[in-house]
Amino acid sequence: MPLLDPSLADAVIRRALRSGADFAELFVERKRNQAVTVEESQVQRVSSGNDRGAGLRIIHGGVVSYIYTEDLSDTGLLKTAEVAASVGRRGGGRFALGQVVDTPHPPQEVELDPGGVDVEAKVELLLEADQAAREKGGEIRQVAVGYGESRQEVLVVNSEGVQHQDARTRVRLMVQAVAERNGEIQTAMEAPGAQRGFEFFDEASAAEYARMAAERALMLLDAAPSPAGTMPVVVGNEFGGVLFHEACGHGLEADFVSKGSTVFTGKVGQTVASPIVTAIDDGTLKARWGTLGVDDEGVPTRRTVLIQDGVLVSYMFDRLRAGQLAHPVTGNGRRQSYQHLPIPRMTNTFIAPGAHSVEDIIAATPRGLYARKLGAGQVDVVTGDFVFAVTEGYLIEAGRVGRLVRGATIVGNGPRALHRIDMVGNDLKLAPGTCGKDGQGVPVSVGQPTIRISELTVGGTGVVPAGAMRP
Amino acid sequence: MNPIAERLLSRARAQGADAAEAYLSRGTEFTVKVFNGEIESLVSAASRGVGLRTFSEHRVGFAYTSDTDADALDALADEALRNGRYNHAEEANVLPEPEVIEELSGLYAPDLGSIDPQRKVEFALEMERVATSLDPRVRRVSDVVYSDGAGHVELANTRGLDVGFERTVAYGVIDAIAEQDSERQSGFAFTYSRDLDGLDLAGVAREAVDNAVGLLGGRRVRTARVPVVLHPDAGTMILGVMGSSFSGEAVLKRRSLLAGKLGQPVAAPAVTIVDDARLPGGLASRPFDGEGVPARRIELVKDGMLLGYLQNTYTARRSGGQSTGSAVRSYKSVPEVGVTNLVLQPGTQKRDDIIGRVDDGLHVEQLHGLNTVNPVSGEFSFGVSGHWIRDGRLAEPVREMTVAGNLIGVLKLIVGVADDLRFRFAGGFCGCPTVLIEELAIGGD
Repeated sequence: MPLLDPSLADAVIRRALRSGADFAELFVERKRNQAVTVEESQVQRVSSGNDRGAGLRIIHGGVVSYIYTEDLSDTGLLKTAEVAASVGRRGGGRFALGQVVDTPHPPQEVELDPGGVDVEAKVELLLEADQAAREKGGEIRQVAVGYGESRQEVLVVNSEGVQHQDARTRVRLMVQAVAERNGEIQTAMEAPGAQRGFEFFDEASAAEYARMAAERALMLLDAAPSPAGTMPVVVGNEFGGVLFHEACGHGLEADFVSKGSTVFTGKVGQTVASPIVTAIDDGTLKARWGTLGVDDEGVPTRRTVLIQDGVLVSYMFDRLRAGQLAHPVTGNGRRQSYQHLPIPRMTNTFIAPGAHSVEDIIAATPRGLYARKLGAGQVDVVTGDFVFAVTEGYLIEAGRVGRLVRGATIVGNGPRALHRIDMVGNDLKLAPGTCGKDGQGVPVSVGQPTIRISELTVGGTGVVPAGAMRP
Repeated sequence: MNPIAERLLSRARAQGADAAEAYLSRGTEFTVKVFNGEIESLVSAASRGVGLRTFSEHRVGFAYTSDTDADALDALADEALRNGRYNHAEEANVLPEPEVIEELSGLYAPDLGSIDPQRKVEFALEMERVATSLDPRVRRVSDVVYSDGAGHVELANTRGLDVGFERTVAYGVIDAIAEQDSERQSGFAFTYSRDLDGLDLAGVAREAVDNAVGLLGGRRVRTARVPVVLHPDAGTMILGVMGSSFSGEAVLKRRSLLAGKLGQPVAAPAVTIVDDARLPGGLASRPFDGEGVPARRIELVKDGMLLGYLQNTYTARRSGGQSTGSAVRSYKSVPEVGVTNLVLQPGTQKRDDIIGRVDDGLHVEQLHGLNTVNPVSGEFSFGVSGHWIRDGRLAEPVREMTVAGNLIGVLKLIVGVADDLRFRFAGGFCGCPTVLIEELAIGGD
């Protein structure tokens, strides 16, 4: 079933242009999702949802007006177009939009539509995972396991004659294990996912991920508090890519660039990283969390080299900013839903692999922190300052991996850290995540091989001299 | 009763549900972003959706939709019931006993929707103009936004509940950029009210500029253990992170660091924390919760002692207590447990006197990486910036530092609470005054 009758879409666009706007675009979305949760070894919740709506964007003299609605009837949409034409503001400025070129990639292939899989099969998957985690021993006090699926269909129709569709099917597992000993609690989680159907779980064993989470929670009970201070940090490939995503990736999104609010403004062609660093955003990768056939403006995705051998090559653009900065589109115009304006966002973003093995990198580091797995993080785009949680970190002593530490964070400055990457591993890995910006969450992949940063600030509570010290 | 709710409840009943509950929400949004003296974007919309919870032999089913056609509604009821079939049955899965809901005034500004949008646009433009004219080092902003909205909630169930309320909010946000030599700093500030006229334009502009300029020239200091003063902007964020620990659901599922500590000291004697769902001026205030239970003021921590947790109907049943009216939700979710207006009660000391007690320490103004806190163990290590305190006064700016500890540890080390209560959104609508923490580990050079 088409998301919307083409002649209706056409009528809506024409009505929206009545006030003299330069451009009109209709984004129609239908999304179905289902979630299953197992807690206390029992099915706690099965829920599902239907989101359906449309957003109408008009641009008049450079000013963007947006209106959205859940009413997709003929009268509802035409009325929305009337309102858009009436509330829309007229700007005095000239503007251009980056042009939609190329043909869309087909949507990712799905073998087993998760919406057609019995809930029993999903429940079984979760109970298996729950069991596997609990088998790790009595100190595992709580296990929460969740399954989520979604299928999002989008249609972009605009006044330039573009009519592109895409469909994105995603499945994900979440396992959280809580371990407790003598009143002390530690927790660990695993959350694998892919843009695939239910067949994903033929390869990704839910039980195996559950065991990993449980083992890490138990290990953390034995961990010592992390030291604080400045030291070399080896960042592993388990979600380590979040570091580049947050600390540099956002600064390469063209909306920040066009306002001059990022440190990377005006630096194309300049050296912004150590010469061993190459970074890429690629929305075309097979089955990845951030992959799209077309972005949410109807632009086919592509592979964009952001940094080549340390030199800044390109930013990531939506159509508006591509027009403003006179650059070809890159397929990075994305939105959370029909309730949001498209803005430049990352898709699958990663640091390209280098020459070293993890062992080489550790052995070459006399002392420091091995942040094997990173958790959540945050960055100030204006300054580039970032902070990340280390969810699995070890001390490096005399070129060897030493004891596990807990509660560590790494703090630094994105652009400076890029220059301080002095070793790049050969073990590139991508992981799924939800990226938040301007109140919009979108699915992305982050990735990197193991890398070494020669100097970063590590935060923690251990081994800090007592007493106040002057700066 | 709303006809959508009526249709859903009767369909659910006809399909065999013992009980059912419909949660409808609709709202309007107006948002304008400006940049460089011009409108960058303008969003204007009306939106709606409905969630249905069904109960069959104590099995809960749930489904939601934004499509309110008759066929879609019938399908929704069937889907909720089908989902419920897989759930395990539990005595605690019940609808609450309907109670009388007391009115709560002051939530709604009826004129907000009829104000000429041009006035709102001009408000945003003026915010930018003022913010970029106060200090030669602040010539640009990265974001200036005016936004408002009205939300209408209706809740009806098969036990006869049929209630609703309306709420408005307006706010202005400025993210300013200060530049000096090759350095740049960002400064954020926001102003909020139920109405456009309640917003403080001059104040928010001044604050954003001060926040940005104040940190210019900031440097790292040595790793140490020092007294730390938390500005309310930082304190509210930590309080927001703590919020989930008070959840009776987190306690039941052993995910709260406050589990098993009822009646015990969890904070210094200077600390009293309340969740007040009827707080005048509180942006999260509401007459009833997500299940129709009357909302009220709950004392969580009094003089350092943990007095209770927040409960919805399910968690209260399971723990043998009463719902505290703390069910939070949207139409897309079942009722969970959460905070509303979460307040660390102010003390009597002046802010300057609190800072005056510190010879050598850190005044924390901005926190980064709140999402890195481990809410189960309570361990945190934030990125911080602020000022060094020397001889009882704010001295040079400090940045790119970490401050680490444990949330409970921090509460227990609070040795001073000022009288300057301030609010911001941080999970809930959180209020905190300036507080002095005896000693924390800070990481730098």
